[in-house]
Amino acid sequence: MSNHEYSTQPDRDWTRRMADAEDRCTGVLAGGLASDVGLLRSGDQMSPRVFGQLIEFARRSRGLTPEQLASNADIELSELVAIERDEDFVPTPRSVFNLARELRLAAGKLMELSGLAERRDQTLSQAALRFAARSEPSAKLTKAEREAFEEFVKVLVEASDGG
Amino acid sequence: MSSERVEIVRRHDDAFVEAELLEGVRPEDLALVERAWGPSRLEIYEALLKAGVPRNRWPESLHWDWTKKAPDLKLLAASGFGIVCEKKWQGLLLAKTAGHQAALSPDRSKPLVYVDYIETAPWNWRIDAIGQAGEWRAVGSLLFRKAVLLSLDEGFRGRLGLHALPQAERYYTDACGMTAVGRDGAKQNLMYFEYTAEQAKRFLDGKGGNA
Repeated sequence: MSNHEYSTQPDRDWTRRMADAEDRCTGVLAGGLASDVGLLRSGDQMSPRVFGQLIEFARRSRGLTPEQLASNADIELSELVAIERDEDFVPTPRSVFNLARELRLAAGKLMELSGLAERRDQTLSQAALRFAARSEPSAKLTKAEREAFEEFVKVLVEASDGG
Repeated sequence: MSSERVEIVRRHDDAFVEAELLEGVRPEDLALVERAWGPSRLEIYEALLKAGVPRNRWPESLHWDWTKKAPDLKLLAASGFGIVCEKKWQGLLLAKTAGHQAALSPDRSKPLVYVDYIETAPWNWRIDAIGQAGEWRAVGSLLFRKAVLLSLDEGFRGRLGLHALPQAERYYTDACGMTAVGRDGAKQNLMYFEYTAEQAKRFLDGKGGNA
């Protein structure tokens, strides 16, 4: 039971006046600051290479081709390939978010790994380093990787012969 | 969860449209909200990056994740309010009715309602730099009004406090007529604003600020 005369729904003059005031004043936010919690890129970020590797491994561990993952995650195949292969490529936040959803990974951590968000989680940094150390040069190629590699080399040779 | 009817303003035709103001928002609702708001935040983030907008002009709640605020909702003295229109959550507010006292005379040290968080849906933000006008207006003000009414319901006579983000400081002084008490080093140096009972009454009567 209310102990006052005011209604949750004010008159329309009140509503319109406050709507106009919101427009003039940018916003109504109360809470915590972005710069302190951070979806902000900073110079202190992890290697995008690790991010690309992680996406590739997550995809492969689920038995998905790049085409399937790109389709399921609703991103361009070219962007997925760039994410996996091009360490200078900066993915879009939407793509990172969609990949996180599709691969069932934590979106916030993926944003950190991709370099789109400020690094905050030291455990994640260490895990990324371990992952990078174990997954890079020493890993042998699987049969499929070797076949793909050989096919690519063959194309390169043919192109070279043609030119 | 209880529901009351309110009207919000659709920007494109300036029409008043019926919406529901829900009281008793639950942690599981926050997950639904973030599922809807998260992609929209990221689209805005992407547009800001693409447009080369300086970071100091980005919306200050771009990073928020309401699911992380769920523990706050489980407290006995916590209240969650939301506005739903056209089946979408258009804004949320979390407030506490215990643990905070007034800093202003004449009711210094008496309890007040403290607004932990208030935010409107990302598609309602007006961001001129990327050409986003915002779909629905007055959502934040109606939620804020509900927090003032909560203060009356609790017997706090309208006393209310909050820490505003810098971009919203003008709203709370100019539009709402709150007192800027001072910057709070314990809260990211945000400005702490407070309503006395008299100021809250003026706000409810539509005479709160310069708006």
